Amino acid sequence: LRENGQWKNIGYAEAVSRLTGTTRHAAAGGKDRVRMLTAVEGDVLLHLFAGSLVSWWSSGPVIYEPLSCDHLKEANQAVYGFDGLPSYRMESADLLVGFGADFLETWLSPVEYARRFKSMHAYAGGGKNRFFHVSPCRGLTGANADIWISCAPGTETAVCLGLIREMMRQKPPDGIPSPVAASINRIAGAFDRQRVIDTAGIDPDLYDQLRRSLRRAKSPLVLGTAALSRSRADLQAHIAVNLLNYVLDPALSNIDFTRRHRMEKADSHDRIADFFMHLAEEPPDVLFLNNVNPAYALPPGMGVSETLRRDDLFVVCFSNFMDETAALADMVFPLSLPLESWEEYSGVSDLVSFCQPAMKPLYNAPQIGDVFLRIAPEAVQNGNTAKQVMISRIKDRWPLSDTRAWLAAVRSGGVFGAASQAVPNDGPGIRPGFEHYFEARTASDRTDGLALAILPSIRLYDGRGANQPWLCEVPDPVTKVAWQSPLMVHPETARQRGIRNGELARLTGGVQSLTAPVYETENIRPGVVALQAGQGHHAYGRYARGRGANPFSLLMPESDASGGPGFYKTGPVEIEGTGQKQKLAHTDGSMEQHGRKIAMAVTIDDLEKPPAHEKPGLAMHEFPLTLPLPEGYNARRDFYTPHDHDAYRWAMVVDLDRCIGCSACMAACYAENNVGVVGEQQMINGREMSWIHIERYQQIGSPQDLIFLPMLCQHCDNAPCEMVCPVYAPHHNKEGLNNQIYNRCIGTRFCAQNCPYKVRKFNWFEWQWPEPLSLQLNPDVTVRTKGVMEKCSFCVQRIKDAHDAAKNENRMIRDGEITPACVQTCPTDALVFGSLMDESSRVSQLVHDRRAYQVMGYLNTKPAVIYLRKVVYRNSADSA
Amino acid sequence: MSRLSFAEIDNTVAGTLEPAGRLYWTVVALLFGGVAFGAACWVYQIFVGIGAGGQNNPVNWGTYLINFVFWVGIAHSGTLISAILHLVRAGWRNPIARAAETMTVFAVCTAGLFPFIHLGRVWMVYYMLPVPNQRTLWPNFQSPLIFDLVAISTYLTVSVLFWYTGLLPDLAVIRDRASGVRKKVFRALSLGWTGRYEHWRHYTRGYLLFAALATPLVISVHSVVSWDFALGIMPGWHTTIFAPYFVAGAIHSGLAMVLTLMIPLRKIFGTEKIITMHVLESVAKTIVFTGLIMGFSYGTEAFIAWYSQNSVEMAVFTYRAFGDFALSYWVMIVCNSLVPLLFFLKRFRTRIGWLFAISILINIGMWYERFVIIISSPSHGFLPHNWGHYMPTFIEYGIMLGSFSLFFFLFFLFVKHLPSISMTEMKELVHQESAHE
Repeated sequence: LRENGQWKNIGYAEAVSRLTGTTRHAAAGGKDRVRMLTAVEGDVLLHLFAGSLVSWWSSGPVIYEPLSCDHLKEANQAVYGFDGLPSYRMESADLLVGFGADFLETWLSPVEYARRFKSMHAYAGGGKNRFFHVSPCRGLTGANADIWISCAPGTETAVCLGLIREMMRQKPPDGIPSPVAASINRIAGAFDRQRVIDTAGIDPDLYDQLRRSLRRAKSPLVLGTAALSRSRADLQAHIAVNLLNYVLDPALSNIDFTRRHRMEKADSHDRIADFFMHLAEEPPDVLFLNNVNPAYALPPGMGVSETLRRDDLFVVCFSNFMDETAALADMVFPLSLPLESWEEYSGVSDLVSFCQPAMKPLYNAPQIGDVFLRIAPEAVQNGNTAKQVMISRIKDRWPLSDTRAWLAAVRSGGVFGAASQAVPNDGPGIRPGFEHYFEARTASDRTDGLALAILPSIRLYDGRGANQPWLCEVPDPVTKVAWQSPLMVHPETARQRGIRNGELARLTGGVQSLTAPVYETENIRPGVVALQAGQGHHAYGRYARGRGANPFSLLMPESDASGGPGFYKTGPVEIEGTGQKQKLAHTDGSMEQHGRKIAMAVTIDDLEKPPAHEKPGLAMHEFPLTLPLPEGYNARRDFYTPHDHDAYRWAMVVDLDRCIGCSACMAACYAENNVGVVGEQQMINGREMSWIHIERYQQIGSPQDLIFLPMLCQHCDNAPCEMVCPVYAPHHNKEGLNNQIYNRCIGTRFCAQNCPYKVRKFNWFEWQWPEPLSLQLNPDVTVRTKGVMEKCSFCVQRIKDAHDAAKNENRMIRDGEITPACVQTCPTDALVFGSLMDESSRVSQLVHDRRAYQVMGYLNTKPAVIYLRKVVYRNSADSA
Repeated sequence: MSRLSFAEIDNTVAGTLEPAGRLYWTVVALLFGGVAFGAACWVYQIFVGIGAGGQNNPVNWGTYLINFVFWVGIAHSGTLISAILHLVRAGWRNPIARAAETMTVFAVCTAGLFPFIHLGRVWMVYYMLPVPNQRTLWPNFQSPLIFDLVAISTYLTVSVLFWYTGLLPDLAVIRDRASGVRKKVFRALSLGWTGRYEHWRHYTRGYLLFAALATPLVISVHSVVSWDFALGIMPGWHTTIFAPYFVAGAIHSGLAMVLTLMIPLRKIFGTEKIITMHVLESVAKTIVFTGLIMGFSYGTEAFIAWYSQNSVEMAVFTYRAFGDFALSYWVMIVCNSLVPLLFFLKRFRTRIGWLFAISILINIGMWYERFVIIISSPSHGFLPHNWGHYMPTFIEYGIMLGSFSLFFFLFFLFVKHLPSISMTEMKELVHQESAHE
């Protein structure tokens, strides 16, 4: 509670009684004296909020999500007459075209789409479907495109309309009502090839490739722009994309209107803007804020902070962190964590998942539902606690009539695949009247200034991740920069402006400005600068505060008067060097592979040819695949006899064609194995501890070829680390694991020096897990002290568990029974773990794939991590 | 030299042991301060972690091992001079043999500290010893570090014994001239040497034997040190040239250090008559020889890297010459293989100033050689994603300062308390030369 500008601790009981009093008093004052802004929550909670607000004579909660895709929702309403966010059947598409939709980062449901994307995009049955990405700047999603077409910012619509025109001419779809066709032609008719190329400034060859592919595709799917873009051009782009999808397939069979994303519950930015305008004009007595940080994520022009600071408004912020919004509140109400409480959430409409307590409550913080039940007991009748309310609601809503079904659902974590009740109004179909969206044609911002693109961050989301040390520690997949959000600039732009890589630059747009270090990259178009969202907090917590810059602060309401208040864009910006250097906390030493046998790709044509019989040799590119098995022994090459393995020889297969570089495996490994978080400065010093890291390689001057390579301990059969240790701390066990015995290690670091893969990490310091982060520690894994070496153990603790289970049941460990944390987390099944001694195991099958190879295999280390080449269309040499 | 009488030799050498002035003690105190500072840095590092230094991933080894190799290298020429040149009866080594052998002992002591400083958990260092234990865990005799442990400890033992044996007759001379406590000390130290015929007979035999024993060590110890690298698989390390190249480099640096020490020494103690220009010139000539070997080795390394056509190997050598550490590489090339060529000209090898300056340059060059070898390979290894940089930190410089202070501290104490020139061997030399006349 804030009193006279000072924070004062009060107990929960007092807080609740004060809230009860305040809300009663407010309710007595008339209508709409209590308002609420919340993030998207489960149905039960939203219902509870609404009920409580009704009991205070007020209207329901306003739901705010910064990355709500509300323009997509609006476009769906306008074009398909469908008020919601359907899901996309990527897996059944044979061509995917994205206009910036960051479906691998923040867009709707990234983990789900990563999986669906790979089920269409991964090499299978001799073929592979294509993915084009059209955007000014390339994030993780763009990095996974077969072809990235860089277009001028805001011209996605033009490209899309060009494609519509193309399709209407070349492959007119059947069954389009003629008025619709006429209005489509009116909109798109002017966008011939030349005009699109001129407007969007795109590479004509790539554009032609895109047109050709789209013509040939049987089941194409087009996706709109990024979740956080919010300009008028963005809405137009969404509408154009919806039209293109319609033109390509009037049945819209790749869009699943019955499976709706919960993000659709979020209110549009128009509404949010209205809400804050009303707050400022006629403030209510009480404002509840739940799990939102508008003071950070909304543009400064909206005056959020000023409103929250008002004395006549009692702001209650339910938050466990003193973030920007909480810092302005009059009362900050900490809540129990999701790990401590019962909750439900249905991310998409055909399932509901339960959140169950996994630990005893640490503090006596209540759940938000219980708070509302106590301050507004008349709101809901069916239960006294949030848990009871939730259970009874779920039992009503989902087919869980008897206790048995309920228990089964709790055990499996939710109800999955239930028939959805959300059917679109009258079936999806084209709605006329979309034409007026294109009337207010945004003047293509051809100014001399630079354009700023705000990039979504897979790690920080809308800024909520910025205080999570694991997320900060994992570098961004494409830039490989951790802890910082650098300003991405094309080398050409940087040269023109006289700024150097790693220089602190000031970015000015309108009255606001910010400074960030410059990162030169070819993954952005000249004339555009990009900054990732999520950092630049001036409150929040020790890991977020004062770190990086907040690009939302440069957002301005769109001047175009015809738009609603919810349009925001960034005006032209300018950057200038400050002359100061800021070392970037990046983990990559070189972007290029230097012609070495590291992250390999193979063209689809080469794969289809019969294998050429190459004579194996000893040099880097002729060395044969040498499995870590007795069959890998060659008396001419090997000095020592092969290892004997007892029953198992653990190995991993990494399919580079499936890896999207998302780095979830890294975060999972930090969590599972108690890997130390070193922080920004030690990252700059090159002391990151990650046991698995994603190497990103890209040829300079040929930015299309970008490849990710997960690198972890290779558990070599002929391990260079084992032979150099004076005390046998690295030790080869009977199942082929290269164990690191921490207690035995004296810290000569010879093993790390001699490891060609550089996957051994030394404990330079005693890493800290300050309270309460010590609760993160996995009790099954030792915490290492300073001065010892550590590295990937293939999650030996899980292997041991499987051994125990198998022994109890007197059997062998089954294939697939052990999943190391990285394998478990991989959304695209790029990693497969198993025993090579079992000939029927998946790894044993996969190592006979034609794409199999070992990284730096010619060193004769006989790695147990076998990579499958990425499949590409072109030879990287051709495109250079 | 024949002008020197035995008495003159005794007087000159014993004169170096006269009670020292204030300046000497000031210098000794300063050096001790340096040692204490280095020790404090080390203690800090033990408490904080190796991260106090600049090492990182991929450059896991830094100045600690550079200094280790540097000091082991310095040690070598001492043994070369005192043992090998003794065996081949090169008379010019006699005046400097004692100082060189002392340099060996102190340099090995200093070097021997570095593996300890380098360790992440120095308190567990006894795991490296083959101590019987209930888990029957042995050290890994495949590891070059165990070779190192054996080689360095053997070397230290032999050097100390060799040095002490050589000292015995001289200690007796001092004992005879000393009085009071000093006499008692030297009496104990000289082990009852009386100069009887049997004493001399055993002494010469023993000395010869130790010389013979020390000789292979000159070759083996630095070969073993080189295997710390050559037995690894990193590009730029994994080459067969490393052993001879390291041995030559060690002698090169050691000879330079001998010059660096002798030139001030003879000046300060006025022993120009004993450590004559001829002696210094002979050292300089040997430096020309080792310098040529170094130049040849650098060339061979680069040539083989190109000849292999292995892209990784070639990249490391290109990186050495033109990458982040290019300056160190060219310092190494110029100081170690080009500058010593000046000694071809008599002018340079007979002027004290030049001799001293060039010896310092070679010392610097040889330090950088170890820097180039130890830093550039791991920082530019197999996977480009993992490439990195390295920059020593304050703590590392502190420890380095401590190591130099320690060496000179010990050496300063030595020159004032023990005969820094072997009277025995000088007399032998004078005797032999007069016999030839």
